[in-house]
Amino acid sequence: MLSRLNGGTRKTSGGRDLRSTSVSSVVVLLSLTVLFAAAIGLQVVRDTRYPLPATTEESLYLTRQAANRIAFSFRPLGADLYWIRAIQYYGSRKREIDAASLAGAKTAAPSPGSRPALNYDLLYPLLDITTTLDPRFNIAYRFGSIFLAEPYPAGPGRPDLAIALLEKGAQAMPGKWEYMEDIGFVYYWNLHNYPMAAAYFNRGADLPGAPWWLRSLAATTLAKGGQRSASRLLWGQMLESAADERAREAAGRRLQQLDALDQIEQLQRLVDAVAARTGTVPTTWPPLIKAGALRGTPVDPRGAPYELSASGQVKLSPQSPLFPLPVEPTPYGPTS
Amino acid sequence: MTSLGWIAVNGFRESVRDKVLYNLVAFAILLMGASLVLGQLTAGQDLKIIKDLGLSAMSIFGLFIAVFIGIGLVFKEVERRSIYNLLSKPIRRHEVVVGKYAGLVLTLTVNIVIMTVALYAVLAYVAWGENEFARQARETPALDPALLKAIALLLVQLMVVTAIALFFSTFSTPILSAALTFGVYVAGYFSADLRNIDQVVDSRLTQTLARGLYYTLPNLAPFDVASQAVHGLPITAGYMAVTIAYAIVYIAILLVAGSAVFSRREFK
Amino acid sequence: MVAFPLVTVAFAIETVDLTKDYSVGFWRKRPRRALDRLSLQVERGEVFGFLGPNGAGKTTTLKLLLQLVFPTAGRAQLLGCPLGDPAAKRRLGYLPEQPYFYDYLSAEELMDYFGGLFGLGLSERRRRTNALLDEVGIGAERRLQLRKFSKGMLQRVGIAQALLNEPELVILDEPMSGLDPLGRRDVRGLILRLRDRGCTVFFSSHVLSDAETLCSKVAILAKGCLVASGRLSDMLALQVRGWELVVADTPDALVAALGTRATRVVRIGEGRFSLELPLGAPPERMVAELAAAGAKLVSLTPLHETLEDFFVQRVGEGT
Repeated sequence: MLSRLNGGTRKTSGGRDLRSTSVSSVVVLLSLTVLFAAAIGLQVVRDTRYPLPATTEESLYLTRQAANRIAFSFRPLGADLYWIRAIQYYGSRKREIDAASLAGAKTAAPSPGSRPALNYDLLYPLLDITTTLDPRFNIAYRFGSIFLAEPYPAGPGRPDLAIALLEKGAQAMPGKWEYMEDIGFVYYWNLHNYPMAAAYFNRGADLPGAPWWLRSLAATTLAKGGQRSASRLLWGQMLESAADERAREAAGRRLQQLDALDQIEQLQRLVDAVAARTGTVPTTWPPLIKAGALRGTPVDPRGAPYELSASGQVKLSPQSPLFPLPVEPTPYGPTS
Repeated sequence: MTSLGWIAVNGFRESVRDKVLYNLVAFAILLMGASLVLGQLTAGQDLKIIKDLGLSAMSIFGLFIAVFIGIGLVFKEVERRSIYNLLSKPIRRHEVVVGKYAGLVLTLTVNIVIMTVALYAVLAYVAWGENEFARQARETPALDPALLKAIALLLVQLMVVTAIALFFSTFSTPILSAALTFGVYVAGYFSADLRNIDQVVDSRLTQTLARGLYYTLPNLAPFDVASQAVHGLPITAGYMAVTIAYAIVYIAILLVAGSAVFSRREFK
Repeated sequence: MVAFPLVTVAFAIETVDLTKDYSVGFWRKRPRRALDRLSLQVERGEVFGFLGPNGAGKTTTLKLLLQLVFPTAGRAQLLGCPLGDPAAKRRLGYLPEQPYFYDYLSAEELMDYFGGLFGLGLSERRRRTNALLDEVGIGAERRLQLRKFSKGMLQRVGIAQALLNEPELVILDEPMSGLDPLGRRDVRGLILRLRDRGCTVFFSSHVLSDAETLCSKVAILAKGCLVASGRLSDMLALQVRGWELVVADTPDALVAALGTRATRVVRIGEGRFSLELPLGAPPERMVAELAAAGAKLVSLTPLHETLEDFFVQRVGEGT
């Protein structure tokens, strides 16, 4: 380019370059060489002396899809968009499923063979993309795993995916003891695998900055895994250390569910006693109230009345915000 | 004021009169709209998302200003032949190139400063309405001064992009200049891959070539520290200094080369 | 290094064998000579007309002098300085052909900007801006954005900005083009005032009459070559070759009676005739005769060869 543009320059008979305004090519090339050397030097210094904390895994980065590459500088924003989508997806699916159950549709937990038409199939991919675009998206791991582990119909009931998501987060940010705690919870609450839960609580406790009670949580899990008192301790701890409203709400709901389990057991004993005394199994509350056994229709911690089945079983109302109650963990022992 | 200063100020006046700063209105609407909507959509991540959104919008608006005005700076003068008259004044041609560059940098700087003020205002507003739990869940303060580091490096990056656009416009048409500038921009983002190519490719020639390109192409990725800033990761003063020094040197390369080309150009 | 040892500072413009080739063609570039060994001397204080038909190389010459293009061969000096020397530009005013200025500026702002480039102080810029805009007759529109200016108004702004630095030499490229008759008269007056101040005016035109009314000397260019230069009156070929007389209220019989004294008679309308008279017969007597017979004189114009005629003739002669 330069040589072509230069072609027009001629020395005149007087030996003077008529382009007296332009700096001579030699000076230009010389200064460009010096400047390029400086640029290279600065690059080397930056690369060797001042590494920037990585926000993306290098191995992940190289195998990522082309679409992700195009996002280059807008990756965090892309992650935000996917996070919003994930929350929207989860919320709207949950509303649809609740509405369907109210309308009387069968909302039994999905059996391995038949999948419900309304499901949460896209939840994991959405969370995966979110955390791939921004591997430090803390909230996406923690809330995402809660949603994933939730049993149907409140969630897809996929503790395995919840653990996978948290493991991915632990890989991106190895110092986060919260992820170990969360994995422990999934093992404890959803998979009833107490040795694994205790192992993860211990792994979390080993990390710098972990709270003291994580170690005792591990011990309690090993000793009394599956007992309601241990569960209450777990969720009580969760409530206290809740980082935000949603986590706090989730923990509070768990504790209320435990309360509901206690209340159902108490009510069942009452119903059984009345049945034994009168010889007829009550199927509604008014006879019990008339008998003086109850002061009014019993309600769960969220205010929804308990139900009595035809066989006299006390049950939580499907309309209750606490529905469905967790499957009571089997106490820790050789059976698990 | 020197001739260079006069040319720069005139360039700034041109972009103001051509209503370039109107993009600020779009930026403000975007941020305010986001702050209103996000609180209802997301779980305690409003501030992070507004930061991400603000920095990305600054980057993309700035990029468009840098490229689309940068490529026209010299071309417009030549196309409309106002350059004939300008060059009849007692100035040298490189003063035109550097002055025009300085004018656009002035425009960009004013633009970014106003955007920064708007971003912090929106962050302050959202933080004011934030609840206790969200406050504890945040990784960084709402009005994190580390954002300023990211914005400073973004501005410096845009200065490099402007210099690239200006360099191309000294000898080529606007469309070609825009294509070349965007090409270098994208390549500049991926030049880290070029450095690491020896881990993927065995060919010695390819390795050398890739390494050569890594060191000669403008490396734009190091200027993008938005994600580090948003997550509260450290950005050291040394890193800032070396990165800014690199930008200054690279801008000098482009301006020297651009001036050299422009000084040899004929206006038929 | 000794520059131009033979040149004295007496010349405002001097070119020696100035030559410019443009390369044309997209694939196979070949040179086209736009200017061929132009040697020209313009003395200080002159009004110099640089004439030639369109495409003769006038604009190329001016661009070479202003370093917008670079010479293929030859050399030139402005005000004793080599081309491109900012010292010369400081003392030079230039009006480009069909000037375009930044249309987002007002006339006043444009003058202020260029005044700044000349390094003038604030009060000096104000004073000269006001004086010059008034002089070219757009004092009232000084705050209007240039995008709202007509072609003629832009030409006036162009002249005003060319005079900002009180130049010793003014180069005007087709200063009359785009102007209405009133504007032409104003520009003529301005050029003569500049001459009276001792300023050298070098202007290009393809209209001979502009030169006739203004110039002390001219140079005539055709197809890139200098075909004639010197005093206009010395150029025989450009001298008057007759007169055109237009009369009204003239009886047909009277015209018929003129016979061969008119070389050509054209009837324009009722009683209105255009008569061509040869150079030999003084037109004054004919005018008196016709007036005595009741005819009214409309106009009397000297007839020239056009520049184009002149060039065709010169080129045809093989010079």
